[in-house]
Amino acid sequence: MTPVATPPPQIPAPPTPAISAALTDATVRVTSDFSGARIVLYGAVFDPSAGPSDVVVLVRGPEHPVRITRKQKVAGLWLNSRPVVFQGAPGFYRAASSRPLDEIATFGTLRRLRAGLDHLPIAAPAEQRIETRYGVRDVVVSSLGDDYHVWRRAVVRLKQRAGLYEEDGAGVRFVDRGLFRAEIAVPAGAPTGIYRADILLFQNGKAVSSRSRTLTVEKVGLERALYLWAHHRPWSYGLAATAFALLTGWAASAAFRRD
Amino acid sequence: MDIYLPIAEVSVNAPLIVALGALVGFISGMFGIGGGFLMTPLLVFLGIPPAVAVSSMANHVAASSMSSVAAYSRRRAVDLRMGAVLAAGGVAGAVGGVELFRWLRLLGQADLVVAISYLVFLGIIGGLMLWESAGAILRRRRGQPPPPRGDRRPVWLYGLPLKMRFPRSRLYISVIPPLLLGGFVGVLSAIMGVGGGFILVPAMVYVLRMPAGMVVGTSLLQIIVTSSLTGVLQAGRNQTVDIVLATLLIFGGVLGAQFGARASARFRAEELRALLALIVLAVGLRMGLGLFFEPDEAFVLMAGVG
Repeated sequence: MTPVATPPPQIPAPPTPAISAALTDATVRVTSDFSGARIVLYGAVFDPSAGPSDVVVLVRGPEHPVRITRKQKVAGLWLNSRPVVFQGAPGFYRAASSRPLDEIATFGTLRRLRAGLDHLPIAAPAEQRIETRYGVRDVVVSSLGDDYHVWRRAVVRLKQRAGLYEEDGAGVRFVDRGLFRAEIAVPAGAPTGIYRADILLFQNGKAVSSRSRTLTVEKVGLERALYLWAHHRPWSYGLAATAFALLTGWAASAAFRRD
Repeated sequence: MDIYLPIAEVSVNAPLIVALGALVGFISGMFGIGGGFLMTPLLVFLGIPPAVAVSSMANHVAASSMSSVAAYSRRRAVDLRMGAVLAAGGVAGAVGGVELFRWLRLLGQADLVVAISYLVFLGIIGGLMLWESAGAILRRRRGQPPPPRGDRRPVWLYGLPLKMRFPRSRLYISVIPPLLLGGFVGVLSAIMGVGGGFILVPAMVYVLRMPAGMVVGTSLLQIIVTSSLTGVLQAGRNQTVDIVLATLLIFGGVLGAQFGARASARFRAEELRALLALIVLAVGLRMGLGLFFEPDEAFVLMAGVG
């Protein structure tokens, strides 16, 4: 008789809270009648101890550097300053939470998780240098001295105004015990690409569990064909567009000919 | 009914765009102009990125000029040779203008140059037209005869080398002024998203002294060549031509232009010119005055990171 290894006694694991979530649509299709979409995210909190929980949903679009300029008065005229490039700005950002973020966790925690508009890693690279970029001289890609925060806030404010950035302290609603939902509004001007949604469970100011989901925003059908044509074969696209315009004009004059 | 523009990446109300195209087409048919100076600011006002508006307008201008030129050419009111010389200048101007626009966009100064161009050119042309047509209206009210037209051709036009005969226009002049004029209008076409008829027509009448019957048809020919080239270049170099937007505008525009041409027969020429002068002045001031007032939002996000 060979000794049979007895299974270790079942010790119940300490109850760990967990979160799970899913999107109603994993793909947003940009078609010719696209005027924005609303994606519903729903999920559940599994917490044997039933402690007070907060849920934070962070959705980030593909990263896009931002060029921003400031109107300055020069000799009585309001002119654009040199453009400043900010790196690290997502093309779309939405932070939805069950309570305002600053009530859920500390500044440091939020900063580390990049949760909230104040904690986006948008920066004009720190060291001061003026370099030639894209063939243009004297583009500042550097810290802006005392004005730096004014510039950074302007990036966020303008993106908010375009509906691309949002922070909603009541965007996650518990609909039943442990069951929550959040709506993500994707405006028509949102960039195409892969979006990442991070769903975080907070207890006592700490993120104790997380899940991530991806969301794809893509042009389909005619919109996609035209976009790809215009960007991959720009010259044939331009020739075709112009030929079409001339032909339409000629056809119209023939149709309305009266003499 | 909203429609998503694949290149502009914004969604617009399609019937509104077609109606705008028809309205501007009506005005352009009525006055024999391209109407780009009116359409481009309207598109920008609707939230279409300026670079896309300027480039897509080139196609719209080409289509509406094409629909008008056929009628003029049937009446033999097109000086092909003069048109070819103007167009040669226009080709050079358009190539240079598209590169200039690209460079200005990267510098972040495209808005400024567009605003100043509108203020200066529309202000000057609108002011001169208003002055001239108001004078004509007043003289007619008082029953005075029109002032004798100074038919003396400027001496400098005849002192220049490279003379050429233009039998249709009964001219024998140097090709340099029409080449320069065509080139200048080509640059404007790329920067302002206009055909340039509002500069070309007065310059052909008052500087080149072409017969009035030939002017509009010939300028349309030059505008077709220049705007077609601008459209291809903007698409090829900057990828800013939105074919969906252009198509909506074209359909509205060619219809409006036909009705505008019929309506124009009901008005006196000088009253039409006075009305057009007011429209031109209003657009120029609207575009340019922003430079003088403190903006609500000091910061502007710029398209195209490069």
